[in-house]
Amino acid sequence: MTTLLLADHDQHTLSDATARALTAASATGGTVHLLVAGHNIGAVAEAAAKLSGVGTVLVADDPALAHGLAEPVAATILEHAGDYDTIVAPATATGKDVLPRIAARLDVMQISDVTRIVAPDTFERPIYAGNAVETVKTSDKIRVLTVRTSAFSPAEAGDTPAEIKTVTVPQTSWRARFEEEIVTKSDRPDLSSAKIVISGGRALGSADRFRDTLGPLAERLNAAIGASRAAVDAGYAPNDLQVGQTGKVVAPDLYIALGISGAIQHLAGMKDSKIIVAINKDEDAPIFQIADYGLVGDLFQIVPEFEKALG
Amino acid sequence: MPSYKAPVEDMMFLLRDVFRSDAVFAEMPAQTDTDCDTIESVLEEAGRFCSEILYPLNMTGDIEGCRLENGKVITPKGFAEAYKAFSEAGWGGLSASPDYGGQGLPRTVQILVDEMLSASNLSFGLFPGLTRGACETIEAHATEDLKNLYLPKMIAGIWTGAMALTESNAGSDLGLLKTSAKPRDDGSFTVTGTKIFISSGDHDMAENVIHLVLARLPDAPAGTKGISLFLCPKFLVSEEGTPGAPNNISVGALEHKMGIHAQPTCVMNYDGCQGWLVGAPHRGLAAMFTMMNAERLFVGVQGLGVADASYQTATTYARERLQGRTPGATVTSPIIDHPDVRRMLLSMRAFTEAGRALTLFTALEMDREKFHPDPEIRRAATGLVALLTPVIKAALTDFGFEATVLGQQVLGGHGYIREWGQEQFVRDARIAMIYEGTNGIQAQDLVLRKLTLDDGQPVVRLFGLIRKTLDEAEPVPALASVRHAVQNALTHLENITKRLTSGDLSSAEERNAAAVDYLRLFALTCFGWLWLRMAHAQTEAGTSENGTQPAGKLATAQFFADRILPQTASLAAQIGAGNASVMAPDAGQF
Amino acid sequence: MKTILVPVKMVLDANVRPRVRADETGVDLTGMRLSINPFCEIAVEEAVRLKEAGHAEDIVVVSIGPAKAQDTLRQALAMGADRALHIQTDDSPEPLAIAKLLRAVVEQEKPDLVILGKQAVDDDCNQTGQMLASLLDWPQATFASTVSVDGDRLRVTREIDAGLQILSLPLPAVITTDLRLNEPRHCALPNIMKARKKPLTVTSPSDYGVDTTRRLTILSVRPPAGRKAGIRVSSAAELVGDLRQAGVL
Repeated sequence: MTTLLLADHDQHTLSDATARALTAASATGGTVHLLVAGHNIGAVAEAAAKLSGVGTVLVADDPALAHGLAEPVAATILEHAGDYDTIVAPATATGKDVLPRIAARLDVMQISDVTRIVAPDTFERPIYAGNAVETVKTSDKIRVLTVRTSAFSPAEAGDTPAEIKTVTVPQTSWRARFEEEIVTKSDRPDLSSAKIVISGGRALGSADRFRDTLGPLAERLNAAIGASRAAVDAGYAPNDLQVGQTGKVVAPDLYIALGISGAIQHLAGMKDSKIIVAINKDEDAPIFQIADYGLVGDLFQIVPEFEKALG
Repeated sequence: MPSYKAPVEDMMFLLRDVFRSDAVFAEMPAQTDTDCDTIESVLEEAGRFCSEILYPLNMTGDIEGCRLENGKVITPKGFAEAYKAFSEAGWGGLSASPDYGGQGLPRTVQILVDEMLSASNLSFGLFPGLTRGACETIEAHATEDLKNLYLPKMIAGIWTGAMALTESNAGSDLGLLKTSAKPRDDGSFTVTGTKIFISSGDHDMAENVIHLVLARLPDAPAGTKGISLFLCPKFLVSEEGTPGAPNNISVGALEHKMGIHAQPTCVMNYDGCQGWLVGAPHRGLAAMFTMMNAERLFVGVQGLGVADASYQTATTYARERLQGRTPGATVTSPIIDHPDVRRMLLSMRAFTEAGRALTLFTALEMDREKFHPDPEIRRAATGLVALLTPVIKAALTDFGFEATVLGQQVLGGHGYIREWGQEQFVRDARIAMIYEGTNGIQAQDLVLRKLTLDDGQPVVRLFGLIRKTLDEAEPVPALASVRHAVQNALTHLENITKRLTSGDLSSAEERNAAAVDYLRLFALTCFGWLWLRMAHAQTEAGTSENGTQPAGKLATAQFFADRILPQTASLAAQIGAGNASVMAPDAGQF
Repeated sequence: MKTILVPVKMVLDANVRPRVRADETGVDLTGMRLSINPFCEIAVEEAVRLKEAGHAEDIVVVSIGPAKAQDTLRQALAMGADRALHIQTDDSPEPLAIAKLLRAVVEQEKPDLVILGKQAVDDDCNQTGQMLASLLDWPQATFASTVSVDGDRLRVTREIDAGLQILSLPLPAVITTDLRLNEPRHCALPNIMKARKKPLTVTSPSDYGVDTTRRLTILSVRPPAGRKAGIRVSSAAELVGDLRQAGVL
């Protein structure tokens, strides 16, 4: 059994998503071949070869692949899909864009956003925006899956680098044409959609302290800043930062509540966050009841220590 | 943030499974396109508009209120835009005649949309509601010229309407009004007077306001028989239909009220403005009264709507709020598990769903009255409508207000503060018990006029319909207990009705004193009847064709039958005791 | 462009909390409110805007689903689509079968553009548009946040992980919509009434010779794991370590 994994990269660096998808790919059983498709991607291929669990790295290098467009990437994979019984990609924008084209051409169903490999043909995945989890078994001989990377830990570095082989890229005129790419400036991400949110409560004490304590940390983590209603009412933060029942409802991967007690109105705005961290001086604060990680202490001491530990 | 979701499933259950409206409308040539699928599309879209655009303005509008600046009324932020979106989407013309640009949909559909408007933003809903009332009056009584000049723009929402009846000395007794109208050479009139409590009297949402003003002609007989109706536009309108010069109508003041703050309740000064007669001279009240039933239905669903909005918030809160432990619980319970909270929520729902059913029953009769080709059916419908509209107006607003108080109580302290919105529903609901004819006046209308209307035929017919439901429910064991309770209520109602119309309570004084209690007894019995019908329809339908299953009709019917309907017994006893003790103390003893 | 085809799906209303059946066979839909998939609604809106701007003449909407899916089609007609096709089935076909059915419809209707929602909010598969493009051998632009007409090509901005990517596509093409593409209009009452009279044809999957047999068997549907009890950490350093392990830092 062999699995083909589509690597995710920006032409220069292999992304963390690839290492995580590799863990999933390895769980499907059998050898894993990693396909790096792009242009001038030698460095990416070398990084890929260093990951543990990779049998071979296949390099498809061509100008047509320089921007990860679906037609050429899918065509490249299909050209070499022949012997693989499982084809995997991380559920990144590229993976989601490309993989279904392959599944349709192979006349098989795709299983999207897999969160657990139960067996080589059986997978768990979220449905209804994560409000339910379904376990499906496929009857197709070739399995095509995208993998939700946050559900898998990244594969470590291996002992010996894998073999790197060049593979051909179909030569034809592609219809879609890349025009330009606009990379997001590192302004603070939007509160409603940020992956990390750092929120402050009334304990911050003043608008200046609120800004000076949360600002640098948010910058460091590329996080959005939120506030409790009490902090907004006290004038420490503008009201468009308010997280809560009468403010914004957020569900980031990581929500760090600094000096927030955890009134029910605030919880309503963030209780669906994947991981909740609470830092508060009061060990009986209600927020500790829903926090995944609780740290009791003075936030003005803890925040600098946190930044130091981030390195 | 509390939110409002229009109860479209419940509305469609009533139309499809209880009242079978497709068959009803199929008999009306003008309404053959009004099938349930069409109605559902309309209600879904109206519901979306109400939830997404009107509801978010409800609390902000309440807090900001209207203000008077340099003689102009400014409505709260967002209202003018919402009104424009509402009108441009054609909602204002839903039931208006296609002859003047309306969609011609029946009262049944209009009243369901009115419920949603009232629930999501009572103050806003009054603008199109009053405009529609004005349009219906103009269409029924004005000359062709006036209709052609005013109706198209009012129906399109470009102009709004206002009804100017009340004066400082003339509220319940309009016969005392003093506003005068003097004829001019060109057939129009000069109208002079001051009116108070005029809803939507002025605003910044549309380019003209069309006032319907009650006034006396020079040779008018005294009292209510001497009142005429005049159309007075805020800005005079050219023949081409463009508003021009101001017409000497001004806002004297804005009232500061308990609720409906986003509604400008105006003192209006008509300082010799130009007006046109609508209907025959001295027949102004009669002209307004032809719209009375539609207006009563509208005010009734105002009570129903805010009660439902309050119920939705109360239920959401009760499911999430953890306080105390129910017997046997090992962790803190959500308050919805506590019997007292359950009782409050069920009481609210027992009222709202029955109130909606009674409204729809009456609206369908109003549609028969207007659209059915058979004159006998129209006559019978007219009688039922006349009988039921005072009941709907008074009962839905009384019970509606009580429901908002329960909805506030469920939230405890959070019900008293502004944030959750429950206290606003209480304040907003209160007015519906007062305006458009106080509930006391409605009760008097019921007892003094409607019971004996048409030789009492409508009453007999209604009681016959209730008995029919009882008979049809007899073979169903699951309905036995509800049926029994409804039977008891009907017996009380029939006995008291007899005593009031032809027995020992039939004097004017007895009937006056009994009126309010009687109306409540009447309403409760009607609710019981409809609960039995709904429970029966649900057990029969199981799952209705489109797969929806309205939750727990039988369970709520049982609650109503067990815990609320017995009030009919005490009401009967109250009325039966006679009025001696009411009038025994003389005025000096207060 | 002459014709735009917009497939739409009816799903559990996005504001309703899904309830998982106790027997683990699926999410309970009985008595629940069903609505047009939000991404599909955006697709219809975009097609209507293209038509209003004079870039297209005819919008056909198609839905594959049970009888009630017609409500969704009527809503699309009220928004401005011209004709509707209902392929009626109670079976909930998978994206692969849907794509095959849509290919057959494309062969019939010959649209220049197919716009779909990027994913359905019930199954969250995010596959149908891409599969259809592949079966048709057409170019695709997924997760579109802007669409503009550039002569005889379309210029599409896509939302990707790093930011935005702009592609130019010739017609015919497939586009899938992302949330920020547009805000669907509220339907006007006259349009709701007019929609009743617009053509709606009903067919069934067998009319197209497409095999809709499922490839995936659903073994179970369960609620997500509840929030596990949290732990107390004793230092910032420990916290950072734990968060890194959890993959959120």
